[in-house]
Amino acid sequence: MKTRIVTTDERERAFTNKKKPEEIEKQKLDVRYNVEDCDVADRPRRFLEAFAAILKHSNYRFALEHFIRVSAKCSMCAVECPIHQATGDSHDIPCYRSELLLSVYRRHFTIGGSLKGRIFGTGHLTDEKIQEMAESFWNCTACRRCTTECPVGIDHALITHLGRYILSEIGISPRALIVSVREQLQGKTGNTSAIPLPAMLDSLEFLEEEMKEEKGIDIKFPIDVEDCDYMFIPAVSDFLMEADTLMGIAAVMKATGASWTIGTKNFDAINYGLFYNDRMLERIIRDLDAEAKRLNAKNILIGECGHASRTAKYFMPTHCGGKDAIPVLNIIEYTHMMLRKGNLKLAPDIIKETVTFHDPCNIARQGWIVEQPREIIKAFCHDFVEMTPNRENNICCGGGGGTVSIDEIRPYRTIIGGKAKADQIRATGAKYVIAPCANCKKQIRELLEDQEIDCEMIGLHDLIYKAIVFDSSVE
Amino acid sequence: MEALLNFAGGPLFVFTFSIMVFGLARIVILDIWGSIEAYAKAGDRTINWGMAILRTIRWLIPIKSVFKSHPVYSLLSILFHVGLLLVPLFLLAHVRLWESTLGFAWFALPKFWADLLTMTTIVFGLALLVGRISSRATRFLSRKQDHLWPLLLVIPFITGYLCSNMAISSQTYQICMLIHVLSGNLILVLIPFTKLAHCVIMPFSQFIIAIAWRFPARSDDEICTTLGKKGASV
Repeated sequence: MKTRIVTTDERERAFTNKKKPEEIEKQKLDVRYNVEDCDVADRPRRFLEAFAAILKHSNYRFALEHFIRVSAKCSMCAVECPIHQATGDSHDIPCYRSELLLSVYRRHFTIGGSLKGRIFGTGHLTDEKIQEMAESFWNCTACRRCTTECPVGIDHALITHLGRYILSEIGISPRALIVSVREQLQGKTGNTSAIPLPAMLDSLEFLEEEMKEEKGIDIKFPIDVEDCDYMFIPAVSDFLMEADTLMGIAAVMKATGASWTIGTKNFDAINYGLFYNDRMLERIIRDLDAEAKRLNAKNILIGECGHASRTAKYFMPTHCGGKDAIPVLNIIEYTHMMLRKGNLKLAPDIIKETVTFHDPCNIARQGWIVEQPREIIKAFCHDFVEMTPNRENNICCGGGGGTVSIDEIRPYRTIIGGKAKADQIRATGAKYVIAPCANCKKQIRELLEDQEIDCEMIGLHDLIYKAIVFDSSVE
Repeated sequence: MEALLNFAGGPLFVFTFSIMVFGLARIVILDIWGSIEAYAKAGDRTINWGMAILRTIRWLIPIKSVFKSHPVYSLLSILFHVGLLLVPLFLLAHVRLWESTLGFAWFALPKFWADLLTMTTIVFGLALLVGRISSRATRFLSRKQDHLWPLLLVIPFITGYLCSNMAISSQTYQICMLIHVLSGNLILVLIPFTKLAHCVIMPFSQFIIAIAWRFPARSDDEICTTLGKKGASV
């Protein structure tokens, strides 16, 4: 697939169309980053202190040592990066981005680099370099396509992940993420969207009435039921924005006779820690574990959300008991399992439109959830068109890595970050693009609007809700 | 000249070869030791080793990339690496030199294949350098060593080819052979300290990535304490 390069003029115009010039300038400086508590003095020293502390207590050092030895600067990653393909800017090449941090590591944390730097008086970390890292690391959508293509096996995504982590320790992180995580971990509501519990419960009650009206049977969202098989927890934004997804999931649970519940102490699976700070990631995971333990749930069932699923699946064992950690499933896995067992019936004649499927990076890149949704879709959709490339080699929606939460950079996300995805969707000619991820849903919705694509974004369970068939045995 | 040649092919070679072996052994041990340490610290030790092995094999035999984004570059790169590895190890003249020192020999490439691979290594090595200079992306990324390595690597191949195939005077032969041996020695000594180290540690990449994403359990407290952030707001 050939992707047209967005020129600097177009990039500027895209920003200008959306915002006044003075606001654009501000976006580059204040709006995007959390600067409220950020001490701008002496940043290089503080950066190196944070870097040293993280290296001491983490597992990054041996990987960095390996990466600085094998890096071949071949630029194979450049072709795989949708951001670089859209901007054509060499600063957006993943290998260049990684080198920003690797050069700091080499200069300040290796004997050879340190010696060379001292002898020649070069290479020390400057404020300008920190600024460049801040811009560069947050231009990346953390889709990890570059990682799969690096011939010498450098994990650029891991390096960007670490770079963001160090920057966040000296106060440089997108404000949107900080504010959300602060509310989730320290706020009254305990979730990233600051939804009060009564409002969440009201919204579920409303959905129950809606389902009764539409399907003619009582479908409930069980609340705070102990000893269930599944504690269901979606990205909290679903309660506000993705009612159909929630109804679809409730319908699947009803049709399959699942023992499930939603907890009231923690009903937000979002874990922005993955995008900017491992310490926050750990705290959010521990809160998730605490809620599952409070309800004595046998499994944690994550809703349609890529990063929430990935963090729970891969970091619950890390922070909450290794092999004894509570198992984590994504709702697609559950639905797929039930469909295979024959416990779920979907009418094959309801969805007649052409549908296509977007693989969320956080569940597809490692090959975890790729065939399951396809089997589900093919079970009831007549006209399914694949995007190219797809599955593990998919292209990011353009809002990954936490960038979708930063409303101020919507033009960047939809004109630059989502350019390749927009081309992919357009090429399928589909009526529906299925995006089983809360982040991708928001981004693709905005992408379709800004890129003027005649297609509708829909969740997988939204579509299932339209076609689900209840046995007469189900009350 | 002959004394110099004997020195470069004798004691100097032993020295540079030893530097290479010990240097590479050092970084292999560091990689393995680092991996073991990180694995021991990891909160979750369930690693899909099968997948890491599969990915490593895929990386080592990168045929797939030929049919993807960089077909010409990938093909040239693969063929260049094949010649670069096979000729020094399996050229008959080299095998005989080893035999005279070690007392045993191994498979040697037929002359036709050795010559062909030598030519492809020279041509593709220079083509890769041209590609590196002509592509905006690689030009932007390249360090000095990235430009110098292809040039240095083809020198022993060019001189070796001249010595074994061309009708040249004895003096020219000796000069060529001296350049051949000296450049070979220089390459050996530089391998462990430059990007060429990937020749032995690249197979570890996929395992290292897999382990690196396995974070230590509950490092929040330790990092907070080190940075003096205990009790600080999010």
